[in-house]
Amino acid sequence: MNLPAWWRRLDKVGAAAENTLLILSLGAMIVLAVAQIVARNAGIGGMAFSDELLRLLVLWVAMIGAVAASRDDHHIRIDILSRFLPFRLRKSMRVVVDLFTFAVCAIVAWYGVQFVASTREFEDLAFGKLPLWWFQAVLPVGFGLIAYRYLLWAGRHAFEALSGTQAEGEKEEGAGDAP
Amino acid sequence: MPLNALFGLLALFGAPLFVIIAASALWGFYQQEVDLSVLSIEIFAIAETPILLAIPLFTFAGYVLSESKAPARLVRFTQAVFGWMPGGLAIVSLAACAFFTAFTGASGVTIIALGAILYPALAQAGYEERFNLGLVTSAGSLGLLFAPSLPIILYGVVAKVPIDTLFIAGAAPGMLMLILLAGWSIWRNRDTRTTLSEFSWGEVAAASKDAALEMPLPIVVLGGIYGGFLAVSEAAAVTALYVFVVEVLIRREIAWSDLPRIVRESMVLVGGILIILGVSFASTNYMIDAGVPEKLFELTESRVSSQLTFLFALFVFLLILGAILDIFSAIVLVVPLILPLAANYEVHPVHLGIVFLATMQLGYLTPPVGLNLFIASYRFRQPIMTVYAATLPFLLILLVSVLIITFWPALSLFLID
Repeated sequence: MNLPAWWRRLDKVGAAAENTLLILSLGAMIVLAVAQIVARNAGIGGMAFSDELLRLLVLWVAMIGAVAASRDDHHIRIDILSRFLPFRLRKSMRVVVDLFTFAVCAIVAWYGVQFVASTREFEDLAFGKLPLWWFQAVLPVGFGLIAYRYLLWAGRHAFEALSGTQAEGEKEEGAGDAP
Repeated sequence: MPLNALFGLLALFGAPLFVIIAASALWGFYQQEVDLSVLSIEIFAIAETPILLAIPLFTFAGYVLSESKAPARLVRFTQAVFGWMPGGLAIVSLAACAFFTAFTGASGVTIIALGAILYPALAQAGYEERFNLGLVTSAGSLGLLFAPSLPIILYGVVAKVPIDTLFIAGAAPGMLMLILLAGWSIWRNRDTRTTLSEFSWGEVAAASKDAALEMPLPIVVLGGIYGGFLAVSEAAAVTALYVFVVEVLIRREIAWSDLPRIVRESMVLVGGILIILGVSFASTNYMIDAGVPEKLFELTESRVSSQLTFLFALFVFLLILGAILDIFSAIVLVVPLILPLAANYEVHPVHLGIVFLATMQLGYLTPPVGLNLFIASYRFRQPIMTVYAATLPFLLILLVSVLIITFWPALSLFLID
């Protein structure tokens, strides 16, 4: 299956963006949490915002990590039945599962937008000054990206089911594999 | 209900578990005519649970350790201390794996990081192939009950039990597993001719010096927490920074260019676990609204009369659960439901946690989805049936220790309160 060049580039940019955000968030987490300990022991106050920021960073890392897991199709799953199926049937079943994943995540993302919109309406604040919805937006965006990823997976698995061959760059997934 | 059966079927065909949980929560709330943005509200609770900070930080530290040469130094040190004993290298393997798994959160990383060193070393020392395979496979999840393992932290979050208390409670049961496996390894190899190393203080000193920068780690974690200096999540931050400074900046065993990959791999695991936790906040609330705990109450009340029968039923249930579900999903999905049941039979929530984790540990080694079996089969290029057979005796020993842990609450509880 030959994807257009611009699409491949988009894919690379996406993966790099995930990595950058993960490194920045994790780095910020370590630095902030350690700075907090130092500040407390040195008797310096004024780190009140960092508690809240750390908690929001955990949510960000969780969502970006989940998006990254979707790119590699590395979510925790059970999958005990599909290995008994012949290749084409197994890939067809994958298409069903991918589309189901797409649909559920799209619904969560859609209603997530409403959740964020209502926070925006009530003008809830993070750290007492920034709009909280900026930070909550990671939820609908994250679920939207996961939905998009599984739509792509559905296409890929459908191609494999129809052609009867394994697409390039993907190894046969082991049954019961967790990340 | 039929729709939930369909969800179950899709799960068995490999739909991500978080999707299954989200779908059943969505369907449940939809029937109750609750606005579906409730799902996002519940997932946002991740940002309202401060202790979760410990999970990405410890996971990152564990991944960095496993990518460095720390596993080799750990093996050298334990070899210097235990290598002279009959069955010494087997004990070395068990101890090193247990220590390492405590830090890497029993995600299969141990088999990959330590197995690569221990498996050939055991063969070279004269141990039998089958024994080695079983030993390394089962040791890969051995440190699960030791601080600061990820599943313990997750149980603490879900059951709302202090995590430092759980860390203490896991120590003796974890040691029991270690000792029983070590004892069996010695007995099993009583007639095997293995090369033993001579004990030398010189080697102990050299190995200690070699691992001098990693040795303070348990002290940082445990000393920090129990000395009252650090909260659990703070200890995680210090560990992550410490490991980063030692392995990347001082020892330079991990190139800067490898860091993005390590961060990504560790955070993919964290994201995978936390998104399941997030959606299960929603499904748990739905189930409580729908009165599922009460129904479970009635169901057990008539059939299970004493604490003893409850513990036995729990053991059987968890054994089956562990065979199909991974430990993280099992914790977030099942613990909220059995916690009130256990309280009804006066099972201490800390004891329940240790029993839960210890039994789920067996799930790493039981077909059909035992993660360690697949990783070992892949890593050591052995057919999966060979791995099953090689692991069986170790599984039976662990089964015995889980029975002891289940029916002897004091083993978990004697060090707390």
